[in-house]
Amino acid sequence: MHIPDGFLDLSICAVMYGLTAIFWVFSFRKASKALSDKQVPLMATLTAMFFAAQMMNYPVIGGTTAHLLGGPILAITLGPYAGLISMTIILLIQALLFGDGGITTFGANVWNMGVVGVFVPYLVFQLALRTTKNQGGLLFGAFAGALIGDVLAAVFAGLELGFSTLSFPYRVPIAVTAMATHHLVIGVGEGAVTAIVLSALQKTRPDLLQLPKLAPGWLGGT
Amino acid sequence: MTGVKHMLLLCIFLSFIFVVVGVIWFYNSMETLDQVAEHFGATASPLWNPPIPEYEIPGFQGNQVMNIGVGILFTLIVFASTSAVAKCLRLLKHRV
Repeated sequence: MHIPDGFLDLSICAVMYGLTAIFWVFSFRKASKALSDKQVPLMATLTAMFFAAQMMNYPVIGGTTAHLLGGPILAITLGPYAGLISMTIILLIQALLFGDGGITTFGANVWNMGVVGVFVPYLVFQLALRTTKNQGGLLFGAFAGALIGDVLAAVFAGLELGFSTLSFPYRVPIAVTAMATHHLVIGVGEGAVTAIVLSALQKTRPDLLQLPKLAPGWLGGT
Repeated sequence: MTGVKHMLLLCIFLSFIFVVVGVIWFYNSMETLDQVAEHFGATASPLWNPPIPEYEIPGFQGNQVMNIGVGILFTLIVFASTSAVAKCLRLLKHRV
């Protein structure tokens, strides 16, 4: 889902940088006030792990491949503010050193994978947490959050491409449909892995899931 | 603290496994976006040449040992970068 340079109109790139910057400001401010000593090594390790996980491209449908994003697990364990910072670091290194994603499109890529791909799964998971207290409900919340987050991120990528009429010669419905249908399948994989990791954490390290979350107060954050 | 260390070591170990598996077996990348772009005839126009395009050092393409080394090295660089950013944020917290 890493959009390279040249796929988006510069006006779209500027809008996406602007929107993402708002979340960057909030996230860095919040993290600078609430990040705990215990969260620092966990944040660094999870970020490194999902950077490595993104190197594995597994086959999906129609000859395409996909890789884990990791945003949902980062969001559930650390909170969405720290999750966004982690995804920003991963995407920045990928863009600058490996050419995976563009420089002009960096704001759009962070928006899709770091804002939508992190905040939406966290929101859905928190809703599940409030409506159900049993293990199955929580795992379903993690699965659904990752799935919805992945599909919405793809929808946003499609919208950005579709509105870039100068760079991408096809309109919104075509771009959105093409991106969203494939990511419906990819999102199932992300959702399954998220639920499995969450289940394993609940059994082996439930204390990590109880760390204070860097999230808006109304979403149970510190 | 020992529990946290075990958890961190497990994650680092898993990262190395991901890199090895990603380099040896799951290296072929054709993301949906690539396919959509190819289908619709959109072309990328990179602003600059990255030093390690496609996660392979120029001149060593296809060298799996080198690629695993690159993967592990940059996983550690991501770890160090995130630690540095998080520690800077912690320092800011103490100043505020």
